[in-house]
Amino acid sequence: MTNFDTVIGLEIHVALLTESKFLCSCKTSFGAPPNSQCCPVCLGLPGTLPLINEKAVEYGAKAGLALGCEIHYFSRFDRKNYFYPDLPKAYQITQDAFPLCTNGFLEYYVDDQLFRTEITRIHLEEEAGKLIHSGQSIVDSEYSLVDYNRAGIPLIEIVTAPDIHHPKQARLFLEQLRLLMRYIGVSDTKMEEGSLRCDANISLKPKGSSVLGTKVEIKNLNSFRALERALEYEELRQSQVLSGGGVVRQESRTWDERAGKTMSMRSKGDAPDYRIFPEPDLPPLNLDPVWVELIAANVPELPLARLRRLERDYGLSRYDATFLVNYPEFCELFFQVAERGLGYEDVVNFLMGDYARLAREKGHLSAERISELLTLVDEGTISQGQAKEVLSSLFSSGLSPREIVQERGLEVVDDPGRLEPVIREVLAANPDLVRRLQDGETKLYSFFVGQVMRATQGKADPEVVHKLLRGELGK
Amino acid sequence: MIDRQDVIRMARLARLELSEAEIDQYQQDLAGFVSSGRKLQQVDVSAVEGTSHAVVVTHELRKDEVAESLPQDLVLSTGPDVSDGFFRVPRIVEEQE
Repeated sequence: MTNFDTVIGLEIHVALLTESKFLCSCKTSFGAPPNSQCCPVCLGLPGTLPLINEKAVEYGAKAGLALGCEIHYFSRFDRKNYFYPDLPKAYQITQDAFPLCTNGFLEYYVDDQLFRTEITRIHLEEEAGKLIHSGQSIVDSEYSLVDYNRAGIPLIEIVTAPDIHHPKQARLFLEQLRLLMRYIGVSDTKMEEGSLRCDANISLKPKGSSVLGTKVEIKNLNSFRALERALEYEELRQSQVLSGGGVVRQESRTWDERAGKTMSMRSKGDAPDYRIFPEPDLPPLNLDPVWVELIAANVPELPLARLRRLERDYGLSRYDATFLVNYPEFCELFFQVAERGLGYEDVVNFLMGDYARLAREKGHLSAERISELLTLVDEGTISQGQAKEVLSSLFSSGLSPREIVQERGLEVVDDPGRLEPVIREVLAANPDLVRRLQDGETKLYSFFVGQVMRATQGKADPEVVHKLLRGELGK
Repeated sequence: MIDRQDVIRMARLARLELSEAEIDQYQQDLAGFVSSGRKLQQVDVSAVEGTSHAVVVTHELRKDEVAESLPQDLVLSTGPDVSDGFFRVPRIVEEQE
C-alpha cells in the first residue's frame, strides 16, 4: 500500500422517518407483509400524480442544517430514467441540477485526531423497492423477489467529497453521521433494516500525485464493518492490479460478506444513460426562509458539541464523554443525576457499569432513583457490593433505594463493638485453622475474612474487619 | 443530426421495439425536433431567467398523513409472475465470467 494514496468518497442514503411516503400517502413502516403498502402512485401506474410530503422536505433541510450546509430556498426535482426491477416507474424522482443542500461538512475523531470531511451535497429522492435474491448474492441469482413497500419512502442522499483516505476513517465518518442523524431525529438509521445505506467510491493514485485514479463503486455495504472490510479488500485488490502493471476498470462491484470480497456486477445491456430531465409532474420547491429558520432553531445540540461540553464543563475523559455522546439516553440521565451534586465521574462509572447492562434489558430507572442510590454509597450507608444488590432489585421492585436498604436490613456494619464478638466466635470455632495460619499458612487468612463476612451477611466493613482480625490473630 | 444508430439506441434505452419503417420515421421526426431546437438556440435569452416547469405554480406540499394502500392481491395482479406476496423477476446481472 505504501506506493499509493487511497481516495474514498461516500454516498449515503438515509431513509427519513416520516409516517407516509415521499410522494404518496402509503405507510412507511418496516416489516409489513410484502407489497401491502403500495398504491397507484408508488407503483407508477399511468395517470397518477405525486404530491410532496412536507415532513420529508423539513427533515432534508434539517439534515443539511446540522451538517453546516447551505440550504437552497429554490430546488428542483428531476427524473432519472433507468430500468431496474426495484424501480416501478422505470424512473426515480430525485434532485440533480438543483439540490436542496450543498457545501457542508462533518467533523469526527479518528484515534483522538479530529478530521473534517466536506459534504458536497444533500438531495431529496425517492427510495426504490427491496430485492431479495434467490442465490447468495445478486451475482449468482437466477431470479429475485421484489417488495415495493419500500418504493417511494423519502430519502436523502448525502454525497461527500473524495477526501477520506483510510477504510477506518470511512467507517468512523459513517458512525458519526449516523449519530448525528439520530440526534436530529430525522431517521432511525438502522443499517440492518436498510434505513441507512452506504455506497463507497474508492480509487488509488501514486503517492503524492494530484491526478485521481480510476474509481470503483462498491455497493451492498450493510454494516459499518462491511464498509471497512470492503474498502480494505478493494484497496489491496487495486494496489495489486496497479503494481502488476494492470488497469483498474471503472465499474460497480458488490460486497460479498460471506466470501469477504468484492465482485464485479456488470449489469445486463447498455452502460447507464439516465437521460435526466426536469420532473414534469412536480413543481420546483420554493421554501420560505422563515420556515427554514424555524427548522434551524429546532436543531438540537450535536454530538461533537456535546462531547466538547462534557469534557470542558464536566471534566470527563474522552472515553467517558464518548460513551455518553453515543448513548443519548444515558447522557440525559447523566445530566439529570449530575445536577444533584454527585461526583461526575462516579455518575458516569455507575451508568457504564452493571447499570448499562440492566437498563438495556429492562429499561431505564429515573434520575431520582439513581441519585438516591449513589447518595447512599456516597454517605457510606451501604457498600459498593450492597449497591449492586440494591440496583438489581430496583429494576423489579417499586421501592426506592432507601426502602430496599431498610427492607433487607442492608447497611455497612463498621462498629468494632458489633464486629469483635463475631470475629472471636469465628476464630473459636476453628482452632485448628488458627494454629495453621499462625504457623505461616497465610492463605488461610482470607478464609477467616470470608467467614466474618458470611456471619454478617456481607454487611461488615472490610477495612474494619481486617484491622480487628489482624489484632485478634496477633494476640 | 440524428442518424439511425441514435434512434436504435434511444429505442433500446426506452425498451421500444421498432420496425425498420418506424426507425426511418423516427429518424425524420427527431431530426425535425433537433432543427427546431437549433432555431430556438439562436434566440437571445441572456436576460431571461431559466424555466424549471412549464406551468407557473408554487409548490403544494401535503401533510405527512397516512392513507389506505391497495390490497396486496390487487397490487400483485399487476405483475406477470408472483411468488409468496412478492413480484418475481428474472436474473438481474450477468453471470461472472
